[in-house]
Amino acid sequence: MKKKVAIELKNISAGYGNEIVIENINCNIYNGDFFGIIGPNGGGKSTLLKIILGLLNPFKGYIRIYGKPPKIGRKNIGYVPQYSEYDKHYPISVWDVVLMGRRSIRGFHPLYSSDDKKATVETLKKVSMLKYKKRHISELSGGQRQRVFIARALVSNPKILLLDEPTASIDKDLQINFYNLLKDLNKSVTIILVTHDIGVISSYVNRVACLNRFMFTHDDEKMISREMLEKTYSCPVDLIAHGVPHRVLDEHKKNKNKKKKGVK
Amino acid sequence: MFQYPFVQRMFLAGLLASIACGIIGTYVVVKRVVFVSGGIAHSTFGGIGFAYYLQYMGFIIIEPLFGALIFALIVAVIMGLPFIRTRMREDSTIGILWVVGMALGVLFLNQVDRSKILVQDPVSILFGNVLLIKMQDIYLMFGLLILIIFVTIFLYKDFHILTFDEEFARISGIKVDILYLILMILIALTTVVLIKVVGVVLVIAMLTIPAAISNLFTHNLKNMMFFAIIIGCIVTFYGSLMSLNFDLPPGSTIVLSLGVVFLLALIGKFLVQQVFSKTSSIT
Repeated sequence: MKKKVAIELKNISAGYGNEIVIENINCNIYNGDFFGIIGPNGGGKSTLLKIILGLLNPFKGYIRIYGKPPKIGRKNIGYVPQYSEYDKHYPISVWDVVLMGRRSIRGFHPLYSSDDKKATVETLKKVSMLKYKKRHISELSGGQRQRVFIARALVSNPKILLLDEPTASIDKDLQINFYNLLKDLNKSVTIILVTHDIGVISSYVNRVACLNRFMFTHDDEKMISREMLEKTYSCPVDLIAHGVPHRVLDEHKKNKNKKKKGVK
Repeated sequence: MFQYPFVQRMFLAGLLASIACGIIGTYVVVKRVVFVSGGIAHSTFGGIGFAYYLQYMGFIIIEPLFGALIFALIVAVIMGLPFIRTRMREDSTIGILWVVGMALGVLFLNQVDRSKILVQDPVSILFGNVLLIKMQDIYLMFGLLILIIFVTIFLYKDFHILTFDEEFARISGIKVDILYLILMILIALTTVVLIKVVGVVLVIAMLTIPAAISNLFTHNLKNMMFFAIIIGCIVTFYGSLMSLNFDLPPGSTIVLSLGVVFLLALIGKFLVQQVFSKTSSIT
């Protein structure tokens, strides 16, 4: 059975001014994927995100989201930004943050409707945050806050959930919890996860791409090849995943006991 | 004392100013554009000078407050233009517009022969004098305030998203550049409402302090506006009374009162938190 293409990236080169940050990106992300994009800082991850969200136009190539250009197709995307990008002191409650997510599908309207409120209740339940709805965002833990922003992304019923470094503000212990939530959500939405954390991602995703100016995808399930990573990080790396106690990725058994994640 | 019309006008102007600065000041504080508003406010000095100059030259008679409005709008639009926002450093743009506006004001006022037309004392332009407010100023302030309230109610939802998370606003399909421009224009209008009360230099205080005090005690944007209006009203009235009783410049007494209240509120909040954290650690 041929899977439906959710996002199609074709020959994309992009950057800022005269500087090319990503080059020749070709990739299909299919409906139902749990797609991981990994790469070092400065490798072009956020540039690629901006292209997908229609915030930046590529120099070359094109992108289609369910067959539509990004400015229209992004209605299908729920976006979860990095936590560092918003103001912790801003006067806003959990409820108001999630309600905001309805703007993309409702369009301009001075007031929120009862449908908007109903969807907000449902979504807060889904991420088990309903009882915190009156809390201010600064009164939450990193993990709880992340759930709120996932709820904001989900409240518009998107087909795709796009997350940028979602675990940066979460304790290692709670990360497993968080990824289990994502895995659960993945039953109904396509998930794209962008991170520099090579370890954790691999146990949950079904496809991985490595991005460092160029992108290498590996279409066999759950496989990151050593060559792929070495090309991405331009250095020898070991493939060790988190898990209990340590889950080593499906290749290169001889490297099993090394823990070094040499990024330099 | 309240039977004097100038005292009535003074309190009326204080009320209008407090409402405007409660609403727009809240956005200024949460969007962190205090100094953008400062730039807009100071440039109005140029507009006031320009209006007096035109009066003196006899070309057209325009009210000084109307000159301030024109300059504030020009600077607001420049600050809000997308290519200026993205290509220029924001603080440099502010600095340039700020001083150019003030220099123009000094230049225009210098050209005016004060024996020919009645010119407000530059010090009272800069630091305000609510005792000099005329009824037509009140009408202009009232008209601007109605416009500010109407636009804010209509765009409240989108302003909330824009000021919280601009990137998310863009992705949600909000025309961020236009909305930001509208916000700048609202700030310009508010500035004009405030000028007569506290003067060009002290506008920042009225825009910032009531909202900042309010933000210490609430985590809800609507409440923040509401409390900022209340705080603004009370403190402005108090400052005005001080000015009348002790014959002090009203702009200064209002701003100093705001400053003192902010300090007290900060200390009060800190003490309350200390007590709370102690009781909760005991239980």
